[in-house]
Amino acid sequence: MCFAQSHIQPVDVSFKQKQVASGKIAAWIALIIELVSEGDQAMTLSIKTLIRSACALAAATVWGTSMAQAQDTLAQVKQKGTLTVGIKNDYKPWGFLDPSGKIVGLEIDLANSIAQKIGVSKVELVPVTAANRMEFLNQGRIDLVIATMGDTEARRKVVGMVEPNYYAGATNILSPKSANLKNWSDLKGRKVCAVQGAYYNRRVTEMYSPELVVYPAVPDALNALQGGNCIAFLFDDTLIVSTLSGGDPKWANYEMPLNSEDPQLWAIGVRLADLNGPFGQLVKDMSVDWHKSGYLLELEKKWGIKQSPYLIETNKKLKGN
Amino acid sequence: MKALPQNSLPVLLTPTRPALEPLPAFTTFVQSRALAIILVGGFILSCGISAALSAGATQPRPSILDVLLKWAPLIGGGFLFNIAVSIASMAIGTLSGVLLGLGQISPSRSIAKISWFLTQFFRNSPWLVLLFFVMFLLPFELKLGSLTLPLPAWFKAIIGLALPVMANVAEIVRGGIKSIPFSQWESAESLAFSRRQILWQIILPQAFKRMIPPWMNLYAILTMATTLISVVGIQDSMTLTKAALVAEGRLDLYLPFYTMLLLMFFAYCYPIARLTQSLERRVAVKF
Amino acid sequence: MMEPIARWFKWLSSTHGLNYSVFFDNYDQTLFLKGLQTTIFLSLACIFLSIMVGLIGAWLQGSRLRAARIGTAMFVQFFRNTPPLVQLAFFYYAVSSLLPTLTDQFGAQAPIINNLGWAIISFSLFAGAFNIEIFRSGIEAVPTAMTEAAESLSYTRFQIYRIVVVPIAFRICLPSLGNNLVNLVKTTTLAYAIGVPELLYASAQIWSEAMNVREMMVLLLITYVALVAVLVGLMQRWERSLRIPGYIA
Repeated sequence: MCFAQSHIQPVDVSFKQKQVASGKIAAWIALIIELVSEGDQAMTLSIKTLIRSACALAAATVWGTSMAQAQDTLAQVKQKGTLTVGIKNDYKPWGFLDPSGKIVGLEIDLANSIAQKIGVSKVELVPVTAANRMEFLNQGRIDLVIATMGDTEARRKVVGMVEPNYYAGATNILSPKSANLKNWSDLKGRKVCAVQGAYYNRRVTEMYSPELVVYPAVPDALNALQGGNCIAFLFDDTLIVSTLSGGDPKWANYEMPLNSEDPQLWAIGVRLADLNGPFGQLVKDMSVDWHKSGYLLELEKKWGIKQSPYLIETNKKLKGN
Repeated sequence: MKALPQNSLPVLLTPTRPALEPLPAFTTFVQSRALAIILVGGFILSCGISAALSAGATQPRPSILDVLLKWAPLIGGGFLFNIAVSIASMAIGTLSGVLLGLGQISPSRSIAKISWFLTQFFRNSPWLVLLFFVMFLLPFELKLGSLTLPLPAWFKAIIGLALPVMANVAEIVRGGIKSIPFSQWESAESLAFSRRQILWQIILPQAFKRMIPPWMNLYAILTMATTLISVVGIQDSMTLTKAALVAEGRLDLYLPFYTMLLLMFFAYCYPIARLTQSLERRVAVKF
Repeated sequence: MMEPIARWFKWLSSTHGLNYSVFFDNYDQTLFLKGLQTTIFLSLACIFLSIMVGLIGAWLQGSRLRAARIGTAMFVQFFRNTPPLVQLAFFYYAVSSLLPTLTDQFGAQAPIINNLGWAIISFSLFAGAFNIEIFRSGIEAVPTAMTEAAESLSYTRFQIYRIVVVPIAFRICLPSLGNNLVNLVKTTTLAYAIGVPELLYASAQIWSEAMNVREMMVLLLITYVALVAVLVGLMQRWERSLRIPGYIA
């Protein structure tokens, strides 16, 4: 084993030396090769290496996408003995932490009722956010999403939405009384805090042109609102109403001044493959059942949510059948 | 700064730089005056500033210190979680980084090129982007034949942080090996050592001591980078601090809480930094 | 020129499901490019300010006043041993809420410095602390023989600094400075946490609408690697152009 051409020999050939020795073009090629193979804390990426990296990562993407689930979810859940549900843990009263640290809420009750119907005794609650709930569902980490998810056309392409929907929420803002905001058009050019992944961010930006500042999570946005870094917090009106009615002194000077806009149906989400399969059908049947029996209206009363006109209507309609 | 030698020339020439006495040598945690001053002083200062600037509250509220003490155990627990993540990440990153570093100096051209590419790629990517990458792309469970391994979020975060650590350790290893003079390789070769024997018995033992200060520096950087896991949604000291501030809702608490968090990290990383400095002086090159 | 590229990516999306919407969707493209612009602006501003902080700090560390030297040392130790994300949150949430507010054009009270401003301040101080160390070690590495020779030729202290010390020290510390600036560009992604519309923020917005997380991640990584490569290339060229033939530091 000859070490004469070993890679560990420190290379320190100056540019000028090379140029004199072997002509301009050869010198440039030699320099590029030297830099590419030297690679100390200086990384000179030639276009070739950039393309190589792009190909490598594209291959990784394709590999990653092909890791899809292919088995029936209902059978899987029964086999596991656990129903894994994605829920919110920071959105009172749909899904939130009670003082002992347990996750409770209206959506948790719905999850428990579905698990009971399937016949499994354990329900695993996985806290999700708007930005990751659909990813988790499609990756297979959760079997079901009941996490205040708005039912939109774009989302229907990615996730199976169970009809009839279980709630209808709307968009509104939380702002200090001193801000004196009366209409949605008052938001033009103003700084408004929002949370990553909400479906109304784009719509509100396009319609009313506020200066939207999007934070990763709800506490970040609320901290910014309290610190005066934005004039309003854009979110679902249900959360804002429950925050203001909680009687907490720190929200005494805040209000929800505007008319709730863009009523959006919320839906339970299952994987697209399951939507027409046995699992999806079971959840759909249960959904109809809840509306018919008035179970949803009962739950709303239990958790102190204002009775949604949508639910009252659907309940009447289905009872009539 | 080195002291200028006193000259015996006439008064015309005066020393232009004063002889600076070095800061007190850091021997034990308790003896470091600078550390104590920063910790205590900074804390009192922050509480004082926020209390003074938000004086005139409408109703009597629990004092800042009381609120801090109420939340301190929870945030301290989160901080210990940060430390645990940093230790796990460092362990995984170091092991893989050593392999990658040795791969970079391998005589096989393909292995060397692949190792170099991986090292440069992970070194030059932002840590937060790599963390997002790993969190989204790794599946939630791993199927190995009949065995299914669940991968919880914190585990994926540890892997995500271990990737840049791996690349940096590879660079440290390569730099350490390169700093050993080539004469060592030549003399070993002339004594008929095989390449593996040279590496493991002659070069690495010498290089090891020199790799320790930058490795410890990397650990300090990693500990500070563990706060990034709060951005991808994992509960650590940073998310707990934010949640506590939302729960309390008092503007005068912002400064003390964030100062407390800063000082927690400072109290952990500063001793490591001083230790690294003293080690660096001891393993300085002597040839 | 962009047309065939856009068409190819559209084809890729419809046939293989790899949705690189940034190339063919106008809204996403604008978002992404705006994010790239903000990242580049943030990086340049922070690079400039951190070098200023480094120069001032290195000068203060050599001053005759003991207070200045100890103050600078404490500043450096504090910013080097605390997490940049916590520093950022500290400035944006805590310090900002205590500063006086001024009336903006709508008649409401707005903080003086917005989130981009605080990001620049926080990252400049963070990188500046490292730069102080780098410049100081560069100055210390200047051979004493040089400064002594200059003194014996009756140069004033400032003249020595300007004509002898800084040129040599700068060339010595340029590799470490380049390394630090690369780290600074990587650190600008942290501004995502306080809602600064930089590249990671723009990508997050795009993938939450278009549901193409994997593709955006790949694109994001390649873009950052390219940005860093450009910076490193520039630093290398600068290094080579400053090289003094025959001088071994």
